[in-house]
Amino acid sequence: MPGLDVIVNALISGLLLGGMLALTALGLSIILGVMRLVNLAHGEFLVAGAYAGLFLLQRTGIDPLVGLLLIGLILALIGYPIYRFLLAPLAGKGSEAAMMTMFGLSIILQNLFVLLFSADTRAIERDYATVPLTLGPISVPQIYAIGFAISVALIMAVHVLIARSRFGSELRASADQPLAAAIIGINVSRVHALTFCLGTACAGIGGTLIGVALSFTPTSGATYLLTDFAVIVLGGLGNVLGTLVGGIVLGVLQSVGGLTLGDGYRDLVGLVLFLAMLQLRPQGFLGSRA
Amino acid sequence: MTVLTTSVPERSLLLYHPFVRVAVAGISFAALMAAPSFLPAYFVEIGFKLLLYIVLAEAWNLLAGYCGLVSLGSSSFFGLGAYLTVGLLNHTDSGIGLALAASALVAMALALVMSRGLFRLRGLYFTVGTLALAEALRLLVVNVPWFGGASGLFVSADLPEIAELFRDAALLLVVTSLVMTLATGSRFSVLLRAVRDDEDAASQVGVRAFRVKLAALMVASALIAIAGGLQAIKLGAIEPYGSFGLQWSVDPLAIVIIGGLGMRFGAIVGAIFFVAVGELLAEYPELHVAITGVILIILIRCAPRGLCGLLETALRRAGLTKVASS
Repeated sequence: MPGLDVIVNALISGLLLGGMLALTALGLSIILGVMRLVNLAHGEFLVAGAYAGLFLLQRTGIDPLVGLLLIGLILALIGYPIYRFLLAPLAGKGSEAAMMTMFGLSIILQNLFVLLFSADTRAIERDYATVPLTLGPISVPQIYAIGFAISVALIMAVHVLIARSRFGSELRASADQPLAAAIIGINVSRVHALTFCLGTACAGIGGTLIGVALSFTPTSGATYLLTDFAVIVLGGLGNVLGTLVGGIVLGVLQSVGGLTLGDGYRDLVGLVLFLAMLQLRPQGFLGSRA
Repeated sequence: MTVLTTSVPERSLLLYHPFVRVAVAGISFAALMAAPSFLPAYFVEIGFKLLLYIVLAEAWNLLAGYCGLVSLGSSSFFGLGAYLTVGLLNHTDSGIGLALAASALVAMALALVMSRGLFRLRGLYFTVGTLALAEALRLLVVNVPWFGGASGLFVSADLPEIAELFRDAALLLVVTSLVMTLATGSRFSVLLRAVRDDEDAASQVGVRAFRVKLAALMVASALIAIAGGLQAIKLGAIEPYGSFGLQWSVDPLAIVIIGGLGMRFGAIVGAIFFVAVGELLAEYPELHVAITGVILIILIRCAPRGLCGLLETALRRAGLTKVASS
């Protein structure tokens, strides 16, 4: 059995990583909740965000954390034409057509990444990714704490946006009753477009954080897609605050799994939990409110 | 899936006479069995790949096209078949036939065990559930020491010639075709389509939706597992990233969407197209997959019934009867 400080350390870093996982899952969650779209290209948007952070640093020297909003904007600008030209024409053709289209997009992007950027494993190298933050016996890389803070702040911001703003109420109406929302004069297609852009922007920012804290390859997207599904199923579909809870729970449990069974089992713990949760409580820990 | 109602074909054409059908099937089978004796080795290799892909695509078409179960978990059964077959070949003297049959049985058992959970998930959630199942099995095989970890296992028994494997694959295709003919031309086909189009309505009129879906899943799983076993024997070695690779879930889906979802000849047409594109772009594997993605997106948008659907429309416009679907 490892010592107490090792256990506490693993739990803390699991918690902090879990916060970042929640941010990566947020985009998937709101797109699923509002548009009823399983965005199978979500993982590729994360990886695109990580590459954006990497090249921003290499070409312009802008620190990826400073450029986060810029990266979000870039990803939103990538997201809009995808919605406009690939998804909007499929409205009314059933949810599978859109899902398959995103799947096609995901394999295109994955292979484009390999062709353009090679299959190498990359990481965005910054001092704060390696320098530890020490507090008594606890010692985690600084980026874990920074990433956690940014993630929680962004998730809260999105929560406030959806719960308080006018756009948020239109969004909730479109999610609950698209037809009724359209009848009372809400432009559902515009809401969907903005939701999709918001989702890809969150994915890009989450991807950059992951790119700094861990490493990524052109094909990392598939793993994150599944992890993110686990997060949103744990937290409840389309539930923004639930996503944060789900991410933290998954992060901690992955750490526990890695500690007790061996590092290779980290992801397996997440998947088994995901399958079990789908069976037992598909609405998530917190119930089903968006 | 979305509207895919296939009408009953007009049976006036000579092609649809049962005797003609049996004769055509018999001649094709004889030709397949004889093919490896005179074809160059390269074409036998391609032919084996094609046969395997047709089987995988037929199984996927049975699930998604006829029963509405869009699965991204083919690779779980493919990998299961590969590992079981190799395990049995290495540790018992069962022979290939028995090992493959056992793999099929175990795959059916896995389908049965997982069905309770998977079928609670409807539509998109089912798809995600199958994807997670495949990934979980792969991670299990990577981590549990019996399975040789990430580096995999070698087949220690003698490997058969590619010609013999080609014939085995041809036999498997015959079995698959028989199953598909039964599943799409009998009373069961009506049950399948009822469940696909509206599960709740079907249950209301007394269709046992769960059993119908289970039957389709078990049959498809058995076929996929045998295909996985054959592929493992052909390679002579297995490793988790290859056998449980996402490509085994993705390729059948792409083939069926290209060929025509829920169309009787969708799998065959799609597989020929897919393998041909793959061979033409063999030097550029990434480009090949990316192009497959582009074709998928275009077909979903412009021709939801795939190449077979396009062909059918073209033939009808030309005044011929429906030849492409049955």
